[in-house]
Amino acid sequence: MKRDQVRSSSGRRTRFAGAKAVLSGALAVSSLALISVGSATAASASAKKITVAFVVGAEADPFFISMNAGAQAEATKLGVNLIWQGNPSQYSPSTQIPIVQQVISQLQSSKPSALVLGPTDPKALQPYVNQAIKAGIPTFNVDSSVANLKKVVSFVTGNNAQGGAAAADALATAMGYKAGKKYNVAVGMTSPTATTNVLRFQGFKAEVAKKYPGIKIVAEAYSQSSPTTANSNIQGWLTKYSQGSSTALNGIFAIDGTNAEGAASALQAAGLACSATSCGSGKVALVGYDAYNTNVALLQQGIFAALIAQDPAKEGMLSVLNAYNFLTHHKVKGIKHLITLPNVTLTPKSPAALLTKYTYQTA
Amino acid sequence: MSRAVSEVVSPSSNEGEPASWARRLVGNQQFMLFVVFVAIFAFFTFNDSVFASVSEIGNNITDFSTLVLLAVGETFVIATGGIDLSVGGTSGFAGVVGAIAMEHLAPHGEWVVLGVGTLVCLGVGIGIGLINAVLMHYARLVPFVATLVTMGAAEGMSLVLTGGAPVGSNFGAITLTEPKISVFSYPDIIIILITVVAGLYLHYSKFGRYTFAIGSNSFAVRAVGVNVRRHLTWVYVLSGALAGLTGMFIYMRLGSGAPSAGVGTELVAIAAVVIGGARLTGGSAQLSGTVLGAMILTIVSSGLIIMNVSPNFNQVAVAILIALAATFQALRKGSRADV
Amino acid sequence: MSDPTPLYEARNVYKNYGSVAAVKDVSLTIHAGEIVGLVGDNGAGKSSLVKVLSGVYQPDAGQLIVDGVERHWKSPHDAMLAGVETLYQDSGLALDLTIGANVFLGREKMKPGILGRLGFLAQKEMDAEAAEDLERTGIAVHASKRTVGQLSGGQRQAVAIGRAVAWAQKVIILDEPTNHLGARQAGEVLAVMRAARERGLGVIFISHTLPHILEICDRIVVLRLGSVVRDAPTSTFTAESLLGTITGLHAE
Ligand SMILES: Nc1ncnc2c1ncn2[C@@H]1O[C@H](COP(=O)(O)OP(=O)(O)O)[C@@H](O)[C@H]1O
Ligand SMILES: [Mg+2]
Repeated sequence: MKRDQVRSSSGRRTRFAGAKAVLSGALAVSSLALISVGSATAASASAKKITVAFVVGAEADPFFISMNAGAQAEATKLGVNLIWQGNPSQYSPSTQIPIVQQVISQLQSSKPSALVLGPTDPKALQPYVNQAIKAGIPTFNVDSSVANLKKVVSFVTGNNAQGGAAAADALATAMGYKAGKKYNVAVGMTSPTATTNVLRFQGFKAEVAKKYPGIKIVAEAYSQSSPTTANSNIQGWLTKYSQGSSTALNGIFAIDGTNAEGAASALQAAGLACSATSCGSGKVALVGYDAYNTNVALLQQGIFAALIAQDPAKEGMLSVLNAYNFLTHHKVKGIKHLITLPNVTLTPKSPAALLTKYTYQTA
Repeated sequence: MSRAVSEVVSPSSNEGEPASWARRLVGNQQFMLFVVFVAIFAFFTFNDSVFASVSEIGNNITDFSTLVLLAVGETFVIATGGIDLSVGGTSGFAGVVGAIAMEHLAPHGEWVVLGVGTLVCLGVGIGIGLINAVLMHYARLVPFVATLVTMGAAEGMSLVLTGGAPVGSNFGAITLTEPKISVFSYPDIIIILITVVAGLYLHYSKFGRYTFAIGSNSFAVRAVGVNVRRHLTWVYVLSGALAGLTGMFIYMRLGSGAPSAGVGTELVAIAAVVIGGARLTGGSAQLSGTVLGAMILTIVSSGLIIMNVSPNFNQVAVAILIALAATFQALRKGSRADV
Repeated sequence: MSDPTPLYEARNVYKNYGSVAAVKDVSLTIHAGEIVGLVGDNGAGKSSLVKVLSGVYQPDAGQLIVDGVERHWKSPHDAMLAGVETLYQDSGLALDLTIGANVFLGREKMKPGILGRLGFLAQKEMDAEAAEDLERTGIAVHASKRTVGQLSGGQRQAVAIGRAVAWAQKVIILDEPTNHLGARQAGEVLAVMRAARERGLGVIFISHTLPHILEICDRIVVLRLGSVVRDAPTSTFTAESLLGTITGLHAE
C-alpha cells in the first residue's frame, strides 16, 4: 500500500533517548500561550470547548477511517470539537503540508486547541510542527512521527517489531512447527526504505532466531508497492522451491497489504493455497499484515493462516484523550511520551466479534 | 552533418557482399537484442536449471503479458515523439473500475462478467487516452505534462474508489491465467496476437507511416494535409486502450482490482521501448525491438528472484541494460553502416 | 499581356501579423510554362506571401484565383489538391522516412483488396513509382528505400523538389530551394525547375542568389516592405539594377 510504504519511512521511532528531559523545555514554550488563557481551571476549559485537529495522510484509507472512528467516539465522550483533515487519497507531504498550514491558522483562532498529526514525511513536516508549537498549539504525533520528537507532547503508534514477532509465532503454528524439523520460509516486502517493513522484518527474524531454529528464511524480495510485482516474485519462489522437493517452501510472511494480495493470488494460481478446512502438507502457509476487509475475507477462507492487525481506532482514541488531558491540566503528567500499541494476531478461528472489532472500517 | 552522411551512404550501396552482410547483422539492434536475450537466459539457466523449467517459462510469459501491451502502446507514442506516463496508472484504474463493475455483475454468467469487464477496462483506457489528447490539443500541455497529470489522477482515483485496498475479489478469475495451450494461457495468446497485429500496423500501414512521420517532422505531415491532431488522438487512445486491457489482465492475475497494481510500470514499459532501440525524440522505433526489450526485462527480474540476488539489484540491472542499449544505439548512429 | 487566363493569380492580397503588415496589396500572376522570380530583402514579405499562396495562412484581404476561379484555402492540403505544390524552406521532409515514403507522404497507395481497406500500404509499388517520378524530373536518387536522413543536403533538396514537381499539376512554389547547396547541386536544382517549365508548370522561385534568378527566370517580381515595387521581364534587369530595386538604394 502506498500509505504503508511512505508512512513507514517516517518511523525513526527508536530515537527517543532523553526525550522526557527535554520535554519540560518544550512545555515552557507552549505554556506561555496557555497561561495567557488565564487562571485556567477545568471549569474554564469546559466553558470554552476544546478543539483537536487531526491531519492524517490519506483519509480514504480504511486504516485512517478506523482511526477517525476511534477519535470521534472519544471526542464525543469528552465533549471535544474534532476537526478531521487529510488528502482523500494521496499519502504525500506535498498534499499534506498545505492542509497543515491551513489547520494551524484555524487552531490559532479557536484556542484552546491541539494538533494531532500523522506526518507523511519525517523531515518535510518538521517545520510545520515547529510552527504550530511556536504558535502555542501543543502538537501530538500519531501512527508516524516527525524526525525530532522532542517538542511533540506524545506519539501513539503500532508496535511493528512486536507485530513481526507475532507473525513468526503465527507462521510457526500454521506450519505445525516441530523442533528438529526444517522449514523454508520466504518474506515479501515492499521496499528497503519502508521502515515499518524493516521493523516488522527485524521483529520476525529476532523471534525466529530465538524460538524457531528449524525455520530458514530462504528468500526475500521487494514489491515496490506493486501487487503485480509481489505476485511475480512469489510465483518465482513457488517454482524454485517446488513442492515435494527437499527445499519446498513451507510458509510465506507477506509483510504488508501489497504482498498479501500478491501472495494470495500466486498461491491460488499454483493451487498451493490453504483452505478453511485444510492446510495439509504440500500447501504453503501464509501470514499477512493489516486487517483490510479483503484480507479478513481471505483469512476467513483460510488462505491466510493469520493476519497481524494494528489498532488504528485505539491510536485515534488515545491521541484525543492525550490532547484533552494536556489542554485541561496544562501539563504532561500522566501522558506518556511514546505509546506503542501491540498488534493483535487474528486467525480463522478468532471469534467473529474480534474480527469485526479489528477489521479496518470503510466509509 | 549532412556531408558526412552522404560520404558514408554511397559505398554502402553495394549491399550484396558477405562481409557487409555480417556487419549488418552485428549492427542490427534486433539481432543484438536477441543475442543478449539468449545470453541472459543461458546465464540464469546455468545458474539454476529451474529457470528453463516449463513452470518458470510459464511464469515469465505471465510477467511478459503484464508488460508487453503497455510497451506496445508506448512504442507508438514514442514513435510520434511523445511520451505516455499514464499507462501504469491507467492499467491500475481500469482494473479497479472493471473489478467493481464485475462485482456488480456477479449474478450473471462468467462470460458475461468477463466480457463486460473487459469492455469496461477498455473503455476506461480509451477515456484516459482521450483526456490525454484533449489536454495536449486544447490545454496545450506537452505530452510529458499531460500524461503526468492523468497518471496522478488515475492513481489517485484508484485510491479514492478503493481506499487503498483491493476490490472485487474473484479468485475464480485467476484460473484464466493458467497455461492452456502449451505454456500459454488464453489471455497470453490474445495479448501476443494483439502485439503481432500492432507490429504489422506500425510498420506496414498508413497509420504506422503517419506515426513515424509525425515523430520525424510533424510540420511536413501537416503540410501534406494529414490531420496531425486526430492522428495523435488515435495514438494516445490506442496506448490507453492497451493499458486498459493490461488492467483486465492484472485483474485476472490477482483475482481482484488492485489500486496500486500499475504504479511505476510505465517506467518499465518505457525502458522496454528504449532498450528496443526506439529514439525518444520520435521518428524511429521497432516493435520487434520493444518485444525483445520486454522479454529481456522480464527474464532479468524473474532470474534475479530465482537466483535470490538482493532485490535492490533488479533496478541496477535495468539501469545497466538501458545504458548499454542507448550506447549501442549512439555508436550505431555514429557509423551509420547498418542500412 | 496576350496570354490566356493565368494558372494562378493573387489580387490585392494583404497579410498582417498583429500590427505588422507583412504583405500589402500584392498582385501577382503565374502562367503555364513560366518561371517567376520572387525577390526582396530579408523581411520583405516573401515567405509570408508564399504561405498565403500555399494555404498555410489565409489572406486578411484579397483574392486567390486558380484557372479563373476564386479559391479559399483552408489548409495547404486544399492548395495541393488544386494542383499547387509548395517547397518550404528546409522543413518539407520527414528525415526518418524512406525516399519513397516521403514522395508519397499524404498520398499513400494502399494494397489492393481487403488488406488495403485494413490500412496496409503498397510499399513496393510506391518505391518503384517514386524512383520513376524522381528520374522523370531529372533527379537520380537510387535506392528509394534509404531514409532521407541518410542523404546529403543536396540529395534531400532534390527529393523535396522532385516530390513537388511530381505531384504538381499547375503551380510549384519553391522557397529558397538552393540555399546551403554547392554550385553543382544548385545547378541540378535549376535543371529540375527548367524541366518543370518544359512540362508546362508555372514555377515561383524565391532566392537570394541573384545570378540564379537572372539565369533562369522569365519574369522577376521585386518585393519591398511587403509591397510589389517592380514586376517585369528578366530582360529588363541587369544585375546592378535588380540589386538596386531590391534595396531601394538607386533610382529606377
Ligand atoms: N509568424 C510571424 N509572426 C509575426 N511576424 C512575422 C511572422 N513571420 C514573419 N513576420 C514578419 O513579417 C515580415 C515579413 O517576413 P517574411 O515573410 O518572413 O519575409 P522574407 O521571407 O521576405 O524574409 C517581417 O517583418 C517579419 O518579421
Ligand atoms: Mg523567408
